[in-house]
Amino acid sequence: MPRNSEPTLDNCIKELRSAEESMTQQALADHVGVTRQTIIALEGGAYTPSLALALRVAKVFDKSVEELFWLDD
Amino acid sequence: MTAMEKVAWTELSVCVLTVVMVTALYPWLGNSASGAFGFLGFIACGIFFLRGRGKTVVIDERDREIEQLATRRGIETAWMVLFMTLIAIVLWSSFANDEVVPTGLLSWLIWVQFAICYGVKGFVAVRFYRSQRRAAQ
Repeated sequence: MPRNSEPTLDNCIKELRSAEESMTQQALADHVGVTRQTIIALEGGAYTPSLALALRVAKVFDKSVEELFWLDD
Repeated sequence: MTAMEKVAWTELSVCVLTVVMVTALYPWLGNSASGAFGFLGFIACGIFFLRGRGKTVVIDERDREIEQLATRRGIETAWMVLFMTLIAIVLWSSFANDEVVPTGLLSWLIWVQFAICYGVKGFVAVRFYRSQRRAAQ
C-alpha cells in the first residue's frame, strides 16, 4: 500500500482494456485472479500491485511490465 | 463491496453494538453486564461472506494486504490500551495505598481488549477500502 511520501505507480490498463473488445473489468479480474474492485483500484492508481500481479496483467495484454506501469514522480 | 470489506463492516458493527449494549446494561446489572461481551462471538458471522461463488475470486492480494495492516493496528492499539490501563492501576494503587486489584476489573480488561482489537481492525480496514475507492474515482 503506497504511503503519501512514496511515489505511486501510474498505468495505462484502462486504455488497453478499452482497446480490447469485450474486455470488461470483471473479465480482466478473472484472467489475473483478483476481484473487480482491485482492478478498479489499480486503474485508478489507488493500489500498487505486487510484482506477480503486474506480470500477470502484462501477460494478458502481451506487453512488458514497463510498458504498463511507470513511476508517477 | 468485496467480501472482505463486508467482513470488516461486520467486525466494526458487532463491536460497536456490543459496547453500546454493555454500556446500556451496566447501570442495571453492574459487573454482570460484561456478559454482553459474549455478543462479540457474532464476529464469526463474517465467514458467511467468504463462501466461494463459482470461479469468482473472493479474496485477493489487496484484501490480504489490508487485512494484515488492519490486524496489526488492532493488536497494537489493544496492547497500548492494556499497558496504559495497567500503569493506571499501579499508579492508583500506589497513591491510594490500596494494593488489592479486584479480579472483576481484570475480567473487564480482557473483554475490552477483544472489543478494541476487533473494533480497531474493522475500522482501519473499512477506512482503507473507502479511501482506495475514493482515490480510484
